[in-house]
Amino acid sequence: MIIKKLKPIIALLLVVLSMVGGVAYAETMLSAREVVDKFQGQLLAVMKSGKQLGFAGRYDKLYDAVATSHDLTKIARIVIGKEWEKLTEAQQKNLTEVFSKLSVASYAHNFKDYSGETFTIDSEENTTRGGVIVHAHLTIPGDKDVKFDYMLKDNGDSWRIINIIADGVSDLALKRSDYTAVLQNEGFDALMAKINDKISNYSKQE
Amino acid sequence: MHKPRGSHRLWNSGLLPCMALSLFVVSGCAASGPATGQAHPFNKIDPYENVNRKIYKFNDLVDDYVAGPISNAYRYITPKFVQTGVANAFANIKNINVVLNDFLQAKFVQGAEDTGRFAINTTIGVAGLFDVAKSLSLEQHQEDFDQTLAVWGFSKGAYLVVPFLGPSTVRGVPGVAFDTAVNPTSYVATPFQALSMLNARANADGALRFIDEAALDPYVFTRESFLQWRDNLATDGKSNAGAGLEDEDLDADLGGVASTATPKGGFLTMDKFGFGKVSHTFVLVKNSFDQTSLAFEQANSKLDKLKFSHAKWFVLPTRYTVH
Repeated sequence: MIIKKLKPIIALLLVVLSMVGGVAYAETMLSAREVVDKFQGQLLAVMKSGKQLGFAGRYDKLYDAVATSHDLTKIARIVIGKEWEKLTEAQQKNLTEVFSKLSVASYAHNFKDYSGETFTIDSEENTTRGGVIVHAHLTIPGDKDVKFDYMLKDNGDSWRIINIIADGVSDLALKRSDYTAVLQNEGFDALMAKINDKISNYSKQE
Repeated sequence: MHKPRGSHRLWNSGLLPCMALSLFVVSGCAASGPATGQAHPFNKIDPYENVNRKIYKFNDLVDDYVAGPISNAYRYITPKFVQTGVANAFANIKNINVVLNDFLQAKFVQGAEDTGRFAINTTIGVAGLFDVAKSLSLEQHQEDFDQTLAVWGFSKGAYLVVPFLGPSTVRGVPGVAFDTAVNPTSYVATPFQALSMLNARANADGALRFIDEAALDPYVFTRESFLQWRDNLATDGKSNAGAGLEDEDLDADLGGVASTATPKGGFLTMDKFGFGKVSHTFVLVKNSFDQTSLAFEQANSKLDKLKFSHAKWFVLPTRYTVH
């Protein structure tokens, strides 16, 4: 009887709790703009102490930063294109792993020092396919600004970067052509060997 | 992350573009008759990949054994401020061409800015050695005749790799011929032309190294970055590169630069018939030139519209001249 009387109150309580939960979820999930902002901040921090860290130090610091802001699995899938379906599950897993390593190694190699660069987010826009493009630019003292357009998708848990377009050159389109060319002409093993070579070359440098 | 400035810069650096143009035009004309069928129907943007790859490899060898070492020696023995001065001076001379193309593209405000830039750097900047205009927030714009042709509505045509000079397109060849003709550097003494080329190669050094480090297939990497970069310039940053790549299921929709994956074969199957295909490829090049000529004709209406919409700008100066 008492339970019956309390039923509406319990229901109300559940609704309130679920709303609170929803708010809490919304608070923890960063917006696309925040994801980019956080990543750019982490990248600048690594650049500032780049020389002391060395390649290995930069790689370690950037691994989580890249893995949590980029959807590396999806990027690898898009880069491989139609050829992806022809790969075995083990090959797909293997490829995603080395691709992730190469992505981080490439950041660690190309952002190794700091000379006053700053990132500025200019605006953001929603795409028709449910994504977000965050427009930003990198200011380099004494040089021309570089325009960066980050394309992000919600992977269910968070917004993730899936493409970066620098001064009109799409990283994803470039990699896609490069990787599929090697895959089609030389096969999977050659592709893996070349990616591993690149990682090795990057790691040999300061 | 890429800002390609590869060997295409050599395009704008001397008389070699004219030589290359002659070579291609002569070769194109020599190959008579219409093309009979598509050699590589799977790669629309780079139908001459077999030949392009061979020329790319040749250019790479030239760069490894001649241009690169000379450029490295220049960078090693020349103080940085001298290199900067030389780069500034040649960039300043090129601004004559930039201004001309500004106006040909009906970018009048930008044309006025670039004229001011040229005037300031030529005078206060001591013949362009110092980039004074930069500190006055006068941005260096990048305009050339290839972009003008794009604005007028001509399609870029097939991707081409030109001996000694690197990446281009069918539209890029007349573009370079025009730019070379209006660049005073083309008419000065040979040592200045050589210095101009050296400067261009030295400036491209970082980009070439980047390609070496990042590319799995440097030919494809260069082609893609070049075409995207040119599209971006031609559309003033509105080319929307990579759009449509955010979803895996868009394979079928991929057009333009995003769909230029190398077909099976190409350079890796360079066999005894490889060079035999060259003549056939030149027939295809000619065909591509024909298509571009057609595009020129079709663009007439667009030009008329452009002239009409900006008629007041053309009329006013004439009036002032007459009176």
